[in-house]
Amino acid sequence: MSEEIHDWGKHKKTYLMVGIALFFFTFVTIALALFPPFDVGPPGPTPGDYVLGLAVATTKASLVALIFMHLNHERGLIYKTLVFTVLFFIGLMALTLFAEFDPIREQYDTFETTNGKLTEQE
Amino acid sequence: MEIPYEVTPRRDTGLYNSKLAVWLFLASEVMLFGGLFSGYVFLRLGVQEGVDNPWPWGLNVHKGYVWLGFLNTLILIGSSVGVVFAWVALKERNWRRFQVLMYAVVACAVAFMCIKSVEYNSKLTKHHGIKLLDNSVMEGRILDGTDKVRFAGEKASFSLQGALPIFLRELAGDEFPELTLETAEGEEPVTFSSKGEFKKWFYQARRETASGLADERKRYRTELANGVENPTPVSVSTSATVTASKPFPLNGNPRTVIGHSDTTMNYRDGSKVDGTLTGDDVLFEIHEVDMQLVMPTKQRDSMLWEVVNDEGAKQEFFTKQHKYYETMRAYYEPRGETIPEKMLRGHKLNLHYVHVGGDHEEGHGSDGEKQEGEKEHHGDEVHTSESKPSASKLEKDTGHHGTITVPRDKIKFMGNHGPRYGNYYAIYFTMTALHGLHVVGGALVLLYFVVFGKKMFLKNPEHLANRVEVGGLFWHFVDLIWIFLFPIMYLL
Amino acid sequence: MSAVTAEKHEETHDDHHDHYEPFWKKYIFSTDHKTIGIQYGFTALVFLAFGFFLMMVMRWSIAYPDRAVPLLADWPWFQAWLDDGGKVTGDLYNMFGAMHGTIMVFLGVVPLAFGAFGNYVTPLQIGAPDMAFPRLNMASYWLYLLGGVLMFVSFFLPSGAAKAGWTNYSPLATTTDLHYGDLFWTGQTQWLMGMVFLISSSLLGAVNFICTIINLRCRGMTWMRMPFFVWAMLVTGFLLLLAFPPLEVAALMQLMDRLAGTSFFIPTGLNVSGMSFDAAGGGSPLLYQHLFWFLAHPEVYVLILPALAIVSEVIPCNTRKPLWGYKTMVYAVMVLGFLAFIVWAHHMYITGMGPAVSTFFQTTTVLISIPSVILITSLLISMWGGSIRFTVPMLFATAFIPMFGIGGLTGLPLAFSLTDLHLHDTYYVIGHFHYVVAPGTIFGLFAGIYHWYPKMTGRMMSTRLGHLHFWPSLIFMNGIFAPMFFQGMAGFHRRAFDGGKAYEQISNQVFSEPNTFISNLCEMMHVIEPDAPLRMIDLNIITSGSAWLLAVAQVPFIINLFLSAFNGKKAESDNPWDATTLEWATPTPPPHGNFATEPVAYRGPYEYSVPGADRDFTPQFESDPSSLATGKENEEAPAPH
Repeated sequence: MSEEIHDWGKHKKTYLMVGIALFFFTFVTIALALFPPFDVGPPGPTPGDYVLGLAVATTKASLVALIFMHLNHERGLIYKTLVFTVLFFIGLMALTLFAEFDPIREQYDTFETTNGKLTEQE
Repeated sequence: MEIPYEVTPRRDTGLYNSKLAVWLFLASEVMLFGGLFSGYVFLRLGVQEGVDNPWPWGLNVHKGYVWLGFLNTLILIGSSVGVVFAWVALKERNWRRFQVLMYAVVACAVAFMCIKSVEYNSKLTKHHGIKLLDNSVMEGRILDGTDKVRFAGEKASFSLQGALPIFLRELAGDEFPELTLETAEGEEPVTFSSKGEFKKWFYQARRETASGLADERKRYRTELANGVENPTPVSVSTSATVTASKPFPLNGNPRTVIGHSDTTMNYRDGSKVDGTLTGDDVLFEIHEVDMQLVMPTKQRDSMLWEVVNDEGAKQEFFTKQHKYYETMRAYYEPRGETIPEKMLRGHKLNLHYVHVGGDHEEGHGSDGEKQEGEKEHHGDEVHTSESKPSASKLEKDTGHHGTITVPRDKIKFMGNHGPRYGNYYAIYFTMTALHGLHVVGGALVLLYFVVFGKKMFLKNPEHLANRVEVGGLFWHFVDLIWIFLFPIMYLL
Repeated sequence: MSAVTAEKHEETHDDHHDHYEPFWKKYIFSTDHKTIGIQYGFTALVFLAFGFFLMMVMRWSIAYPDRAVPLLADWPWFQAWLDDGGKVTGDLYNMFGAMHGTIMVFLGVVPLAFGAFGNYVTPLQIGAPDMAFPRLNMASYWLYLLGGVLMFVSFFLPSGAAKAGWTNYSPLATTTDLHYGDLFWTGQTQWLMGMVFLISSSLLGAVNFICTIINLRCRGMTWMRMPFFVWAMLVTGFLLLLAFPPLEVAALMQLMDRLAGTSFFIPTGLNVSGMSFDAAGGGSPLLYQHLFWFLAHPEVYVLILPALAIVSEVIPCNTRKPLWGYKTMVYAVMVLGFLAFIVWAHHMYITGMGPAVSTFFQTTTVLISIPSVILITSLLISMWGGSIRFTVPMLFATAFIPMFGIGGLTGLPLAFSLTDLHLHDTYYVIGHFHYVVAPGTIFGLFAGIYHWYPKMTGRMMSTRLGHLHFWPSLIFMNGIFAPMFFQGMAGFHRRAFDGGKAYEQISNQVFSEPNTFISNLCEMMHVIEPDAPLRMIDLNIITSGSAWLLAVAQVPFIINLFLSAFNGKKAESDNPWDATTLEWATPTPPPHGNFATEPVAYRGPYEYSVPGADRDFTPQFESDPSSLATGKENEEAPAPH
């Protein structure tokens, strides 16, 4: 696959840039968590923070996967395998959660713990 | 015989064997870590407020060690870049550069594991927690191994059908006590003076018990078959008792001792030791108080305050809690919302640093920022107004904490911050340890390439480059996993 | 012009690789896929026999709960697990039940189907010299053996082997055997350790298989020229590759629960035998079930697909007709593989899942029956109008179809959440599942053994002993599993070690009134008293009796397997069945490296009775210029000579 590529200088530059970007995003990650100005919503971790934190992580992960792992130009067979893998992974996570938080059953759940009302268990 | 397409890619698939294999392997790794990530999400979302242990905030758990995790992230990213450049070096046929880069990558892996072990060590040996019967939690440190039940045994009885009795493993001190087997009258007494002797006898006795039972049962069944009315029931003694010449010290692990009184200790394998209880209370150096599982209305009467028995500390706790409550209100009231229960029960409100044992003068809890530099107050930031835990410095042993005595019968659960301590800790240790294993495995493979690769480099450099590419793919994947692990375990 | 004869000459010249190999390297630590396949096969057959033995002891307890176990009651090992009268205790029943399932599924059928046949046949059928990674192949065998040995050794630990069912559900599995001092050396923990090794072995195996099939096909072996067996192996490989890791996760988590005291699967406030369980709590037992069934449902297809694939090799060969709907079957098996991943929660309807998610899984479960029916119907139609040779492998293959059909159709009531509420955990489930894997898969595997035996040894297996093996096996298989449907619908619970005796309302239901045909038959066999009705519980005796007789029926097979290797009729040629696929092009038995000349696939795999051809089979490996015009599928099709 790589016989036809001889210009390694260009590649090296890309890899270096990606490396720097990864370091940069790592600083972003920790800044988002540690410095209050970046805190989304009320104090402490909230869904907004989770989304933001995971978005940065996903960006980093895609950089690694696409550039370092050459997924930006790979053979069809590997894409096919990975697409199914990702599908099944999503299936595993989503269906498991779906089973736990069933939309129909949730309506009939007896314990209500919303809006600051603390219900005593037992 | 030669396997085709080991080095050159096959024309229609465009892949050489090992590259295809490593992608397939990575697909299964995606499912492996995918299962764990699913477990993480499932367990975290499945926490029932007020019933289960709350899911702690990563920053609160790791405190100063967050920087270690951060450092580890940088190290892994650096090593990932290193692997790519090592591969490029091979493609350019530059052995020297490849060698240097690859050794650097392996050094990164070693550094990563060292830092990891520092983190593990702090959690496993320096942090403990005790949950009392009313679900209030004290965080701190159990002193001098007092979580064990200290006991002086004189006599032990155990079954001859199972494994070696547990008390053998819990003998304190190096000396094996001289044990004498209780035998029927008239028989020669048997004495054991070493563990080996005891084991040898035990296995022998176990075999004899089994064959004795077989014979007895055979007789019983034959008599039954021959129509004997009420045959003598099978009676083979399946247990034994040993007595010690002088009391021997035992440190009963609370997980193996299922019940104990002043004179006996019962193990979960059914064995029993008679003797005298020499120590039962747990000595605890208290750092933090956690009331997340106690109803707010009951917090003032919590069992914890009986145990701590320090009005000042109690006062300090509620002052801080009030202050945090004000912060929450300041956020929610201008928006016309009530504080959601999640936040009330939430990550920080009921978790406060307290000072026990006289060191709690007026106003010192209310002035967190000023005292930030003082080491004995390093935990204050957890609950001060902007409420971000300090990650600015490593936690140190201060020796300024008060020590209290906790009666064992008030304890529901105790342990170090190891995997047992809660689901967060469990998944943290499982995932990071599994990831660590991958780091070690990957590093060994890469090390193999650089140490033993010279010959292949001279013979067929493309083959070595392929191998390095494949090893590199795995290494990048390990890095990729860590990129997700760092935020979800340390920050969020 | 036959390539077969041409290659025979080549065989003698093929000794330039033949440097001296010591015995242990040639037969024990071999990297040759055929030797490894045979190693897998023998180990798996031993485990199958052992699993069968466990089941026979269980069946004694079910049929005669108040009689001492014959023959075994005096063995010292059994003393810890029998009561004073020599009767089976609940603990022993649980242990044998759990290990019967585990051994049969993970150590018996999968290694035999995927490990043995996959290893032996796949590279031959695609014309490869070996697997893509021969040493990895060896590693996966030894990992499998290590896992198997751990499982076997666990019987001899003080705690005995695992007792929490083959599914090993938490929290039962986590809290079982906790009273033993050393938690690591308990059966329950060793089960998990064994599983970790077995799973790793399967993962390595799966990677190897997929790589081999994708990258090592010989010249001309295009995708649509691959025999259906290879397709099934490819899909099976993917099932193993992607479904096993979540179970590995579950096993690791449960290992942590047992050894490190975590509570992944331990809910808050768990009480065990009246005492509060010492763990932090907050875990979810359902998480284990999800992770487990995410593997264990695809595992059912791992069990069935190789057998189905073997049958689809045997049937065209013996009907002298092409496989009907080859392409449809290929697509069906791919759809089946995909759907297999999203049906798992139909095992969990009674765990309190909500109706929405039940409906989802119910739908996918019913959907998956479509490709299954396509496969089985294609096999059936393949036989239509053929001039069938009822050789022994063909007998097994023929029996496979209705048996698998019964197993599949009785699964439909289990797919619906409402009917499943009634049938869950009854003997009905046992009957359904075993119809799929016992007379289904195992018959398929027997067909494979009889079919490829001449290739492996150069000698045919005895037909007479084969008939002696097949007919009693068929009868007793049905004798075992058919009564289970009736018992299950009557409400017999699968885990009752006294066979349901304690539940009189259920067990005393009348299955057949006195003096009917069935009752009289049972009376003749002394199953019931004269003029007594045949009760549901009496069916236990029929089932158990059939099980023991089934064991006897395997004796001819064992004799046949060993004796024929020395005394069997010599195979007349390298292709004794006149089959078409590439494995018959090799010398017999195939040497290390397989093919004497580089094999080339000139046409599709099932060209039987081609109109105009002078024989009723046209092998893939024989060039025939006239058919090349139609056979050209892609750039790799060989040029005409």
